[in-house]
Amino acid sequence: MNWKVMMAIFQKEMLELLRDRRTMISMVVVPLFAMPAIFGVMGKFIQSREKEASGEAMIVGVDASRAGAAAAALRAAGFELRSESGLRAAVENKAVAAGVEADAAAGGMRYRILVDRTRQASAIAGEKIRAVLEKLKDDTVRSSLHGSGVPESVLTPFSVDTVNVASQKKMGGFLLGSSLGYLVILLMFTGAMYPAVDTAAGEKERRTLEALLCSPAPRNAIVLGKVLACATASFLTALLAMASMVYSYRHTPFAAVLGADMRLDLLDPSTFGLVVLSVLPIAMLAASLMVAVSLFAKSYKEGQSYLTPLLMVVVFPAVLGMLPGTELTPALALIPIFNVCQIVKEIFLGSFSTAAFAVAFAANLTYASVAFFAATRIFRTESVLFRV
Amino acid sequence: MIQATGLVKRFADRKRGAVVALDGVSFEARGGEIFGLLGPNGAGKTTMLRVLATILRPTGGTATIGGADVVREPERVRGLIGFTSGDMGQYGRLTPRESLEFFARLNGLEGARLKSRVGEVMDRFGISEYAAAKIDKLSTGMKQKVAIARTVVHDPPVLILDEPSSGLDVPSARMIEEFIVSAKKSGKCVLLSTHIMEEAEYLCDRIGVVNHGKLMAVGTMEELRQSTGKQRLREVFLALLGLSPNGQEATA
Ligand SMILES: Nc1ncnc2c1ncn2[C@@H]1O[C@H](COP(=O)(O)OP(=O)(O)OP(=O)(O)O)[C@@H](O)[C@H]1O
Ligand SMILES: [Mg+2]
Repeated sequence: MNWKVMMAIFQKEMLELLRDRRTMISMVVVPLFAMPAIFGVMGKFIQSREKEASGEAMIVGVDASRAGAAAAALRAAGFELRSESGLRAAVENKAVAAGVEADAAAGGMRYRILVDRTRQASAIAGEKIRAVLEKLKDDTVRSSLHGSGVPESVLTPFSVDTVNVASQKKMGGFLLGSSLGYLVILLMFTGAMYPAVDTAAGEKERRTLEALLCSPAPRNAIVLGKVLACATASFLTALLAMASMVYSYRHTPFAAVLGADMRLDLLDPSTFGLVVLSVLPIAMLAASLMVAVSLFAKSYKEGQSYLTPLLMVVVFPAVLGMLPGTELTPALALIPIFNVCQIVKEIFLGSFSTAAFAVAFAANLTYASVAFFAATRIFRTESVLFRV
Repeated sequence: MIQATGLVKRFADRKRGAVVALDGVSFEARGGEIFGLLGPNGAGKTTMLRVLATILRPTGGTATIGGADVVREPERVRGLIGFTSGDMGQYGRLTPRESLEFFARLNGLEGARLKSRVGEVMDRFGISEYAAAKIDKLSTGMKQKVAIARTVVHDPPVLILDEPSSGLDVPSARMIEEFIVSAKKSGKCVLLSTHIMEEAEYLCDRIGVVNHGKLMAVGTMEELRQSTGKQRLREVFLALLGLSPNGQEATA
């Protein structure tokens, strides 16, 4: 390898990339804005849910003449009761969040809660009403028992509580790692895409390739220079995405919803360093693969249409990783992309298997080298470079 | 300096099947000489020049440039040649200076030598005034000057030029002509392809007439005139291609 020539090519490619609008958008603008946007939307969603719960969901329609004790209990629980004649219609046309129907049946009162499950506020209201009525039932039993000599404890022979033992760091890591770690990987591929198209198919389309081919630059130095430039773009995309992720995690409405103690310190250097290290081979893999494929294309447009399906392929292993309960064994660590998604998640969770990490790292590096050698082979193939 | 012996190049074309672009071409061009390849569209000129520039591998035959074999020592050959063609593009997002420095580095120049050499060619071709503008923003004539400067930035002894003045206006074409003549004067070997007969007559010491991948005749313009017994350039050319003046293939 002629390293000086390789550096010359790398620098020229970087210069071109930094002056290309499409590359800059996919490398800088998308990661910087996608993350706050996603967090913002998530936060807004949670907030609006809560607002609805406290506002709209508290308006309940009742059949005033028959509701009796239930009406009093609901009112005591803070519900605003409206007397409606057509309860079902009132729920359907959103006049009330939910309705409570009461019938004096043979075995006692029978309540029916009317909800529209396609509406969030209605579903929330339904749950709350059920809780109030359950409590009313318990209280009624309790007062009947009172004075009968039967101890109250027969009502609750035991109690059940679920305790979340996951630490705040773990919860945050779970939220971040399972979905957003993957987003970073996907952005690494989109970040490498435009540079790869530009540097391979683009050189063909702009007819600059011949001058490069008849220069003394060795073919493998040319390919390495190009691949490294694309890998750099991919890696920068990842860094920007992670930085913007950390920022948004702390400063968007999402953060406010999570509460102060959930804002974990993601920038603790060892976590960040490990994540960066584990995505490094992905940058090389994405770059080599995309340069290799893009070499087949004659034009920028053609290159884009070859690489878009590749992005789809990347989605599969990642979706696999987002399924709950998948754990990374050393064997599963051989699956590219999936392995990094898992590793990133586990790093965020604070505990990962060193063996799996090593296997994944080595496997991804191997795949990246295979893709790189394929790219150099393709770059020596006349019929591909001079396709007519 | 350039020696081609029985060069053959076959392409496997998906639609047309095997295309024989070069069918046993042999010729020689020396230092201080301008050798022209003259031929109609599809004759095989570009293929010939690409094989010599090591961009394409010949299917058969051999060729050497400055003693280096194009198949066995392509990297040595590449250091000896400057190759450009009329339809080659340039790195439009770079400035002329960046582009020239890039090609100089590919040719192993560095440091002070690189700077002085790049400065030299920029002065010589009058590029210095717009050295810092993006190549995309330059006029066609300016771009052509940058392309020529790129071809000679490493001062190669052999120049391979594929229709270098195609698509250029008269002043730019004139600039190219002057450049070719001065390269010859400085002892370089210039191999030039063209389908413009006047250009071939004015510039070339010797002309090889190519058609269907074969070299039909080689000689000075005077020799070609004599061998065909025709005076008018067009008639000489058509006679050598084996075509009668009205465009019919002559029966041999
Ligand atoms: N990569 C390729 N694949 C298939 N056929 C090719 C390829 N390159 C050239 N050819 C064919 O080889 C023949 C010679 O082409 P070439 O470009 O060398 O001609 P030329 O003399 O340069 O023509 P022009 O004056 O049009 O530039 C043509 O028939 C052309 O179609
Ligand atoms: Mg041609």
